[in-house]
Amino acid sequence: MAAADNLPSLRAVHLLKTFGDGASQRTALRKVSLNLFPGQLALLMGPSGSGKSTLLAILSGLLHPDGGQVLTRPNDQTSFVDIWGISEAARDDFRRKHTGFIFQGYNLFPALSASQQLEIVLKWGNNLSPGEARRQAEEMLDRLGLLNQRHKKPAAMSGGEKQRVAIGRALVKNPTFLFADEPTSALDWENGQAVIQLLRDAAHSRGATIFVVSHDARMLPFVDVCFHLDDGNLEEHEIPLVVAGE
Amino acid sequence: MGYSLQTLWHEKARYSAGVGAVAFSAVLMALQFGLLLGLFTITSIPLDHTDPRIVWIGSKGVEAIDLGQPIPISYLGRVGEHSGVLPPEPYIANFANFQKPDGGTDLCFLLGHFGNAGIPDMLTSEQRTALTEPFAIVMDESDMKRMGMTAVNQTAKINGKEVRLVGSVKGLKSLAAPWVICSHYTASELMGALLPPDHTKYLLAKCDTPERAADLAAHLKAEYSDMAVYTSGEFSTSTRTYWLLRTKAGIAIGYAALLGLLVGGAVTVQTLYAATIASAKEYATLFALGIPRWRVYVTVLFQAFWIGIFGIALAYPVVQLLAAGARAAGTQVILRWEIMTGTALITMGMSVFAGLFALRSVRGIEPISLLR
Ligand SMILES: Nc1ncnc2c1ncn2[C@@H]1O[C@H](COP(=O)(O)OP(=O)(O)OP(=O)(O)O)[C@@H](O)[C@H]1O
Ligand SMILES: [Mg+2]
Repeated sequence: MAAADNLPSLRAVHLLKTFGDGASQRTALRKVSLNLFPGQLALLMGPSGSGKSTLLAILSGLLHPDGGQVLTRPNDQTSFVDIWGISEAARDDFRRKHTGFIFQGYNLFPALSASQQLEIVLKWGNNLSPGEARRQAEEMLDRLGLLNQRHKKPAAMSGGEKQRVAIGRALVKNPTFLFADEPTSALDWENGQAVIQLLRDAAHSRGATIFVVSHDARMLPFVDVCFHLDDGNLEEHEIPLVVAGE
Repeated sequence: MGYSLQTLWHEKARYSAGVGAVAFSAVLMALQFGLLLGLFTITSIPLDHTDPRIVWIGSKGVEAIDLGQPIPISYLGRVGEHSGVLPPEPYIANFANFQKPDGGTDLCFLLGHFGNAGIPDMLTSEQRTALTEPFAIVMDESDMKRMGMTAVNQTAKINGKEVRLVGSVKGLKSLAAPWVICSHYTASELMGALLPPDHTKYLLAKCDTPERAADLAAHLKAEYSDMAVYTSGEFSTSTRTYWLLRTKAGIAIGYAALLGLLVGGAVTVQTLYAATIASAKEYATLFALGIPRWRVYVTVLFQAFWIGIFGIALAYPVVQLLAAGARAAGTQVILRWEIMTGTALITMGMSVFAGLFALRSVRGIEPISLLR
């Protein structure tokens, strides 16, 4: 099982977020706190409009909270950094070094091959040489079972393949944190299951902290921890001990 | 940058609008300036039809052949003796009043040569001999009707004195005043008191090679600052440029070209804008991953660069083709390398500028937009 017993890699403390003002004011998060651990696959569920995407955006450094802290400890460092207590440039740099994202859409460049979608992240984000970027991209694609498809462009891939390339793009730089918002909503359950299995492997074998937002209760057996958000209030849920595939 | 080119190639249809717009601006600009230059060759025809090995000496600061002031014949001594340089000959070039046989008047332009140096090359040897007679003149066929002349041997009056048409030529077209070819003697008689005694308009020194002409011109320019010195070619260019600038025709064409550029630029900006917006989610994903924005700015600028390159490459054969068509229709189009390079540089600058403009579309892309 995941190493859920040591120090958290991410701690959210009393997060607050409200949208709009006056009559149209809408509170999306009410003092949300949670701990995420290295090597852990965490799932966030909840009804539509409950604030799931908002929480993910705040935890990942994309959306400023109105209150609270997001303390992170990348690469098993001993001290925490509040990502909302540092400059915007430092936060962009933090995301560049430590954070991967998977979105509902695949968001792949139509003109680029599978391999190039990954290489661009290594070249532009990590300043790797073209040769080294290609080597690491192909190694990643190999692990995702996509090595034979590395020259394919998105138009020639199935939805499942595209989402696996998008996962490869998120994982190729070996991030400490991986955030996924509805990564399987556009896929059938067979492909969705493959995706969640890949995320689970990434958490367990690489020690990444993975935070997935989903409506889909069929994921429950695959995850290490499940949170539930309802109208901005967060609860941690028990996970059934039967784990599919093991 | 490879990705930019790859994207352009992959989405040819999308980017072809920009490429077409750049090509359109470039064709418009090159062709218009080429036509303009072609049109203004008419101002320097007497220079273009005399020997290219001639050095022209005129009054200080004269920029066009029709603007010379009288110079003393004594300047002959300034040329000195050089091997390969014939003794200079005086040459008169001046406006005069032409009285048609039917009584009407018009302006004409006298070209009075002394020896062989100043005779336009289309004159036959019979005509050259005939012109040695006092008050004999030759003009272009196309000007005869305008001047009321119907046949050779007809007489008319220039500045009140009778002249006789001894022949007509082709290819000596004029714009403002028909060229009238005559001898230096005839010209100075017709000018009378308008030209001070012992003065002429130009001195023509014929050399044995174009190189020697260039050397002599350079030498005389350095030596004497109170007279203008040109080779035939230089004086021709100077004359055309003078009238081009003087008539402000260049400005009119420049405006038209500017309009073409604006249209081309607007379409290019629009193309890049649309392309960037179409890739907004992909770029947003990269920004979420912390990739700095300048990487995407550079990509868009490279796309603009490639649009420019392809547009210019497309324009080149089109310009040549249209120019050939115009020439076949009897119009002069002069595509000097300055026009071609200038056009390429300006349209290239325009597309890169369009790229800079389109960067604004990248600024609005935020990764948060990917979360729903
Ligand atoms: N930019 C915004 N401006 C105003 N209100 C917003 C904004 N973003 C989110 N909200 C509101 O905040 C609440 C939480 O939104 P959020 O997107 O986090 O919900 P969600 O749980 O992800 O929903 P879904 O399951 O439909 O994706 C919603 O009521 C939403 O309308
Ligand atoms: Mg959502």
